[in-house]
Amino acid sequence: MPKMKLKDIISPFYVWQRSFEKPYTNNKPIDERPGAPSYRGFHVNDIEKCVGCGTCETICMNNAIDMVPVENLTAQVGDSGLRPRFDYGRCCWCALCVDICTTSSLRMSNEYAWVTDNPDDFRFTPGVDEKPWDDHPLGYRRDPDYSLLKLERPAMTMLSAEEGLNSFDEVVHGFTPEQAIVEASRCVECNICVATCPAHMNIPGYIKTIREQDFEQGLRLLYETNPFSSTCGRICTHRCEDDCVISHLGKPLAIRWLKRYITDQIPAEKYQQILQHKITENGKKVAIVGAGPGGLSAAYFLRLKGYQVSVYESAEKAGGMLRYGVPTYRLPDDALDKDIDYILSLGVSIHYQTTVGKEIDFQVLYDENDAVFFSTGLNVPSGLRIKGEDHPRVLSGLQVLCDVASQRDPGVGKKVAVIGGGNVAMDAARVCRRIGAEVTILYRRRIEDMPADPEEIEEAQAEKCKFVTQAIPGLIEKAKSLKQVVIQWGEAEMVADDNGGRPRPVLQEDKMHTDSYDCIISAIGQAGNYSFLPEDIKQQLVSQRGKFTVSNHQQTSNTKVFIGGDIANKTADAISAIADGQNAAIGIDEVLSLGMGTK
Amino acid sequence: MKSLINRLTEQFKVSLEKQTKSDLCFIRVNKDDAEQLIRHCRDHESYTHLSFLTAIDRIEDNKFTLTYLLHNYQSHQSLGVHVELDRENPVMHSLHRLWGQMATYQRELKEIYGIEFPGSPRLNDEFFLEGWDQIPPMRKEFSTVEFCEERFPIREGRQSTDAKQTMKVEIYPGRGE
Repeated sequence: MPKMKLKDIISPFYVWQRSFEKPYTNNKPIDERPGAPSYRGFHVNDIEKCVGCGTCETICMNNAIDMVPVENLTAQVGDSGLRPRFDYGRCCWCALCVDICTTSSLRMSNEYAWVTDNPDDFRFTPGVDEKPWDDHPLGYRRDPDYSLLKLERPAMTMLSAEEGLNSFDEVVHGFTPEQAIVEASRCVECNICVATCPAHMNIPGYIKTIREQDFEQGLRLLYETNPFSSTCGRICTHRCEDDCVISHLGKPLAIRWLKRYITDQIPAEKYQQILQHKITENGKKVAIVGAGPGGLSAAYFLRLKGYQVSVYESAEKAGGMLRYGVPTYRLPDDALDKDIDYILSLGVSIHYQTTVGKEIDFQVLYDENDAVFFSTGLNVPSGLRIKGEDHPRVLSGLQVLCDVASQRDPGVGKKVAVIGGGNVAMDAARVCRRIGAEVTILYRRRIEDMPADPEEIEEAQAEKCKFVTQAIPGLIEKAKSLKQVVIQWGEAEMVADDNGGRPRPVLQEDKMHTDSYDCIISAIGQAGNYSFLPEDIKQQLVSQRGKFTVSNHQQTSNTKVFIGGDIANKTADAISAIADGQNAAIGIDEVLSLGMGTK
Repeated sequence: MKSLINRLTEQFKVSLEKQTKSDLCFIRVNKDDAEQLIRHCRDHESYTHLSFLTAIDRIEDNKFTLTYLLHNYQSHQSLGVHVELDRENPVMHSLHRLWGQMATYQRELKEIYGIEFPGSPRLNDEFFLEGWDQIPPMRKEFSTVEFCEERFPIREGRQSTDAKQTMKVEIYPGRGE
């Protein structure tokens, strides 16, 4: 055994002197070293802002994201109620999900250290599962000057206000092929809009056919839920666009105009060949009262199911409010006829100028058919409820529109006041401008309170209709000339509603005005006319606030009677009537063919 | 940096692409002129440092764009040199003689984009992908999702929910067909 030197024994202790020096290594626990300010660390999601569109899930190139239901969050229009859940076993922190987020609710914190012994912890729903970095102010977020989403809409070519005033030509020209593709490629296919559309049309589906230039497939998709696509492509209230997720950061997709684009690509004579509807008669009969969008939609869907359908219409032509209430500069006759002609071509029989209750009794229809659907619309103008309103120079907005649509002179004169703030008021005003009258619109509230579509208001303003808001009509009197009429109106003050409702206009009696006009057009609303209904059936029907109460499939408490359209739904627009027609067809089929009762 | 660009355009076939900041601009040069230009910048314009070499896949134009980013430590300015390559046959002269580390960047680009730099040392050695048997992964036609789906099973218990169906059930049950 070699001899051990003293040095060998002592030398290990030399290193001990190092204990008093500053160490080269980091202390344990490791000193906090924050990530760079825009570091792509763990995800953070503002779940109030997030609408669960799932675009993050779609773009994720590692399939690291699932959309999952979250406690205390339910779906509502514009929000699926789902939220993204991340699997950090797959995430590569590329941040595409943050870059594409349609609401910019999703971002990343600069936190990067997370230790746990349970691998399942690394699957989490940011914003729902609380994390220490939720409130970190730093981290990666999308560059505000750069967007993977296309936020702008191609500008639609339209007639200028001056050109528009010289004719009844359609104001909106429709997209060019280039514009349509650009617009269609803005869609992220999230399907959020489908819930908002009353007819629940397959919107992302038909928009995709535009990108793929397969308009025939587009038409087939449109006709799955809406036989009035050419019409709706022009005049739909397009509530789908309100909930388009692109609208959170940019302009919503022009869904309505894309729908129109598809129908414009296909000539009417090709519809039959493309849609290939084959009808197998089932021997059952359904009567429909009213050939408006609701009635004809029901007729279309019933016919496809093999029912023999008879439609009764009091007017000379079909279309209802679409023909007699919507002027041709918004909806040209040929665009409407394209839709109606196809429905009728399926073998729907229609009796024009046949008013139920006059030419034929409702009871007869009821007895001779297996079911009856009526969608007779709101066509009785509401009165102004002021003294003197029975003056012969007080006309109804609906009558003026109907006269113009029927190419009759409405006889409005040169100086017109329109009372009201809905679409009928705007259209009556714009029609009067086109036939050369000066128009003043009197409305009791503010412009932002007007129920008319915003674009109708804008176009009426561009066409130089004079808007007088917060104006309450008080009295109508005779003028010196029989061709004129005098109106007294007062300025109103908007008073906040204590119950949280919208502000109320209150007349200021010291601010009254007196003006004379060639005519006053009253357009403050419409009601239904149910005089055609036999008393016993009327009694079976339940209504609430002027609208009939019906089941999901438009059935009343009389299992044979179905109602839809403006007289049954709250939204009172064409697309809701079309949806009602489809649902009535489903309901009638359930009762008659499937033997199911009330639903 | 304007005077630099002026000097360079006098001597070389280069074009200014964009000046993104006061101390950063990008020029474009033909592949065959690149070495001479970059060498000139290094030796006569004080752009002595190679910050990086990288590539962009412009699949829609059927091109790759190489970016050599040079830095001048005296003026603290950076010059980006863009060189366009044909995407079908992406070959670039090796510039490893200008800076030793260029070989490493070239090796990386060979691996992740499949760009060839003939004569570059250890060009075909694995860079960071081990046993890679697919097309170069940074090429845009490479589908990361497909690759992930094939190689990495989805963790048990994962499930996604369809927004359309959820909204139908919760918002409008029974409406429509």
